[in-house]
Amino acid sequence: MSGLSPTGYDLPIYDYETPPELSGTGRGRYPVVIVGAGLAGLTLACDLASRGVSAIILDEDDTVGVRGASSRGICYAQKSLEIFDRLGIYPRIRDKGVTWSVGKVLRGQDALYRFDLAVGSRSAQPPFINIQQFYVEWFLVDRIRELGRTDLRWKNRVTGIRQDEDGAVLTVETPDGSYSLHADWVIDASGHASIVRHALGLHTKGELGEDRWCISDVRFRKDLPVERWTWVEAPFNENRAVWQHLMADGVWRMDYQMLPNTDPHEASRPEVAAARLRDQLGPDVEFDLVWVGAYAYRTQLMDDFRHGRVFFIGDAAHVKSPFGARGGNSGIQDAENLAWKLTLVLNGQAPQGLLDSYNAERRPAAVENIAVTRRSGRFLAPRTKVERMFRTAVMDLAVHHPFARLLLNTGRMCVPHHYGPSPLTTGDAGQAMPNLALDSRSLGGMLRGQGAGFLALWCPRDGEDGLGRALSHLSHEGWPLHVQGVGADDRRVLGMAPGEVMLIRPDLHLAARLNDADVDQVRRALARAICRI
Amino acid sequence: MRTTPNIPDPDAFYEALLDTHAGLPATESHALNARLVLLLANQIGDQGVLLSCLETARDTAAHRRNDP
Repeated sequence: MSGLSPTGYDLPIYDYETPPELSGTGRGRYPVVIVGAGLAGLTLACDLASRGVSAIILDEDDTVGVRGASSRGICYAQKSLEIFDRLGIYPRIRDKGVTWSVGKVLRGQDALYRFDLAVGSRSAQPPFINIQQFYVEWFLVDRIRELGRTDLRWKNRVTGIRQDEDGAVLTVETPDGSYSLHADWVIDASGHASIVRHALGLHTKGELGEDRWCISDVRFRKDLPVERWTWVEAPFNENRAVWQHLMADGVWRMDYQMLPNTDPHEASRPEVAAARLRDQLGPDVEFDLVWVGAYAYRTQLMDDFRHGRVFFIGDAAHVKSPFGARGGNSGIQDAENLAWKLTLVLNGQAPQGLLDSYNAERRPAAVENIAVTRRSGRFLAPRTKVERMFRTAVMDLAVHHPFARLLLNTGRMCVPHHYGPSPLTTGDAGQAMPNLALDSRSLGGMLRGQGAGFLALWCPRDGEDGLGRALSHLSHEGWPLHVQGVGADDRRVLGMAPGEVMLIRPDLHLAARLNDADVDQVRRALARAICRI
Repeated sequence: MRTTPNIPDPDAFYEALLDTHAGLPATESHALNARLVLLLANQIGDQGVLLSCLETARDTAAHRRNDP
């Protein structure tokens, strides 16, 4: 074992084309420009395209993924999979990736705690699929090209931005020289080191964690269960933490906690990584290292995810440690949240004020994700002897006492944020609806199509269907609304009572749940949900 | 949080608590206390009460430090 083996990944290279602004055919001004073709930027472009909205997307590179064969995000959560289902790439992710739901927390050979996320799951998508991030990006690019509404500009690097009340002007560098691009709205999805953020002089509160980790992506022949295994104290890693997870192409992600003063270059030398793996897998298992890299945890949060004509999504707006897969997945949800709002505003169906709700909903989601990942980080890297003593107590008790197993914190898996306090929410709604498999199609399937429509599910009262007619009239009045009566089977699945209306947003979050509803209540809730009041 | 008497036989409990620690080196006693805190917390099972207990325990130490 002297180096990294060939990865076997054959990533696509996309053609650079001279942009119209440099060949003299530019339109001059565009409604939407997205900076960065990563997970969040591509999801946004694809979501907009699926709703009929054109955009330009600029990326400094000409392929998918970051730093060659490394994979950043590997775990895609149910909510992300539901979004990908609506966008049309879910089958490819399911076929290529590894579906899993069982996780174990181990000490040595013994499982202290086992959970199965599939228990109680009601979505058409599984709790998680593991797949290399570049495959997801690849599938998104293919789908975006299929939809044919997005101008993908590779090797177009943004170097500056200025804006006024009406729009923004980006400076873009290409192999043919630089040009200016005028946009009504700019969405920065260019990651934690965003140039756009720096150019606008915007600060991000942040810190770099002391805890050091080293990833080894590896192929080997040894039958291990397709489960997420985490060790708080692994004997084969000097009693520090280890993650073990399978992704596509039979590649396992091993992530080793290092000592805080570890030299990252030494820790990621192939010989050193190989020695760690031999300790873990046993002397007789042959393996191929695919990628090795050391990293430290980083936390960043912008004060406001909107600045005039510019929105920040994904890592550009917020960064947290990887526990629970809350990074990439929250960027995907940022994109979905902004896509339907932009669509309604660009279509003239909602006022610009709706766009402020992007920050009002997604910043609290980021704050929560940062708080949750910090707790996991503190469990895994006790700061004092007393913190370590309590952790040992938790592990000792967890062997025989179920209550203590819930205190073991090796990451709380990503779940959709609850938009309860959002200005768009009526009453105590705001939660994400699972992509329920209903009688004729899935809940998300009902929302597929042009534009950004809400869904009003209504449950008939006995011998009376005036409510459905009245609701249908709302669509004719120009409200972005699909109306769907609920049959007996679906009523049970949804737990609805006669006369009840569920108002579901384009992102499957519940805007309102109205008992004994009348059409005026529904109109008010819908008006609130798109700021048309 | 209850601070009025609630332990049926205070002296017997106190004796049992000391006996539980008898013969243990300080580090093992501390570890036992940590397990005990977690077990007792699960008996209480009320977040508000637990947070009040944590605060009171912390404040009591602060008061003692401030005593002349």
